[in-house]
Amino acid sequence: MKIETAQPKRSDEPIWWALFSAGGVCFAVVLPGAILALAILPALGLTTGDSLSYARMADMVYHSLWGLAGLAFVAAAICLPLFHAAHRIHHGLHDLQLGGGLASKLLCYGLAALTSATGVWLLVKAWVS
Amino acid sequence: MSDKPVSNKTAPGPYQPVMHRYWWLQHRYFRLYMLREATVLPLLFFIGCLLYGLYCLGQSEAQWQGWLAFMAQPWVVLLNLLAFIASLFHAKTFFELFPRVMPLAPAGFMIAGQWLATLLVAAGLIVILGGWI
Amino acid sequence: MNKSISIARYHPEQDNQPRLQAYQVQSDHSTSVLDALLQVQQQDPSLGFRWSCRMAICGSCGVMVNGIPKLGCKTFLRDYPDELTVSALAHFAVEKDLIVDMQPFLQHLNAVKPYLINSEQSAEPHRQTPAQLAKYQQFANCINCGLCYSACPQFGLNPEFLGPAAITLAQRYNLDSRDQGKAARMPQLNGKNGVWSCTFVGFCSDVCPKKVDPAAAINQGKVASAGDFIISMFKS
Repeated sequence: MKIETAQPKRSDEPIWWALFSAGGVCFAVVLPGAILALAILPALGLTTGDSLSYARMADMVYHSLWGLAGLAFVAAAICLPLFHAAHRIHHGLHDLQLGGGLASKLLCYGLAALTSATGVWLLVKAWVS
Repeated sequence: MSDKPVSNKTAPGPYQPVMHRYWWLQHRYFRLYMLREATVLPLLFFIGCLLYGLYCLGQSEAQWQGWLAFMAQPWVVLLNLLAFIASLFHAKTFFELFPRVMPLAPAGFMIAGQWLATLLVAAGLIVILGGWI
Repeated sequence: MNKSISIARYHPEQDNQPRLQAYQVQSDHSTSVLDALLQVQQQDPSLGFRWSCRMAICGSCGVMVNGIPKLGCKTFLRDYPDELTVSALAHFAVEKDLIVDMQPFLQHLNAVKPYLINSEQSAEPHRQTPAQLAKYQQFANCINCGLCYSACPQFGLNPEFLGPAAITLAQRYNLDSRDQGKAARMPQLNGKNGVWSCTFVGFCSDVCPKKVDPAAAINQGKVASAGDFIISMFKS
C-alpha cells in the first residue's frame, strides 16, 4: 500500500491543460465559422465571385492589419487547436490502455509543437520573401 | 491482495476486477465521452487542409487554384462537413462544462453567451471570406 | 408481484471471479433494491452486503444496478421492469458478494486532510456569512458512499488517482473561509494522481446521490492547481 504522507511531485499538466483549454475555446468558437467559410460554403458555390481569389487571399493573409490578421488566424485555427487535439489524443491513448506515458506525451505534444511551428513558418516565409 | 484471476483458486482472497480496453463501449455515457474525445480527429483533417492551403498560397497562383480544386472534391467536402459537425458537438459539450469549471455567472446565461460568440465569429468569417465586404 | 433478480456472488475461498445467481423476490411499488436484497438474505443467509440507514444518508449500500453505481435504498425495482442485475461496486476489490474493500477510498480521503485546519486558538465561534457558506456548501453534502469512484474510469485505470470524492472534499475545505489548510492540501492535488488524472468524463456527477457535482469540484481544482503552478514559478 502506498504511503500517503509522501508529497507527490508537482505535475506539468497545467501547461498542457492551459493550451488544451485555449485550443478548446478556439475549436468551439472559431472553427465552426472557419470550416463553413473555407470548406463548405465555397464548395457549395455559396460565396460571391472571386472572394477566395489568389490576390485577395494573399493580401488578406499576409498584409491585413500588418499581417497580424493572418498570424491571429494561424494561432486560433491551427496552433491552439493542435495542442487541444494533442491533449485529447494523449489522454485518449491512456483511456484505451495504449499509452498515456512519457512516449505518447512526447509524441503528441511534440508533433503539435512541430506542426504549429510549420504553420507559423509558412506565414513568416511569405513575409520575408 | 490476490493476483489477477487464474483458472485454479490457489489462495483465498478478494477478487481484483480488471478493466478491459473496451470499457467505454459498455454505457451510452462513456460512448458519448469517447465521441467527444474523438471530435479532434476530423478537426485534425481540417487543420491539415488549412496548412496545405497556407503552403499553396506561399507558392504560386496555380498552386492556390489547385488547393481550391482540392477543397471542392466531394470526399474532402464530406470530411470537412464531419469536422463541422464535430466542432458543433465539441462546442456543445465544452460550453456546458465551462460554467461548472468557472462559475462566473448563471450557467444558462454563460452557455447562451458562448453560442453567441460562435455565431458572431462565424458571421464575421463568412462575410469577410465570402466576399460580402 | 414476483420479480427475478440476479446477484453477483463471490466467495473468496471458492470462486475465481463473481458468478451470477438468480433469486425471486416479492416486489411492489415501494420495494427498493435494498429491500429486495434483505428478502434474498431471508432465503439465502450466505448473501453478504452492507447497509445501515435505509434513507440515503449513511452511504453504505452502494452497489452496481445493471452496471450503474446506485444506492440500494434509493433505487426502486419499479424502475427496472425488465432484467435487474446487482453486483459489487466497480473498480474496488470484492471481499465477498456485494461487499468491497473501501480501504483505498478511505486512504485517498485521508490524504487530502478533509477537516478544518486553523491555527487560531480562539474560544469565539468562527463566523461565516451566507455568501461564504454558499461557496462550498454543495461540496459539503458528500456522504462518502463511493459511487463516484465506481463511475470513474480514470480511477479504474489508475487506482492511485485520488478520485472524485477526495478531491471534492479538498476543494470543500479549500473554499471554506474558516480554513487555513490550502497550502497543506495543494501538493496532493498538484500531482499527476491529483486533479490532473481527471478527464472530465462527468459520470461521477451523474451518479452522485447527493447532487454534489464532484466533476465540477475537480475541475475547479484544476484551475486552483494551475494558479498554484504559476505562483510556484515566481517563488523559486
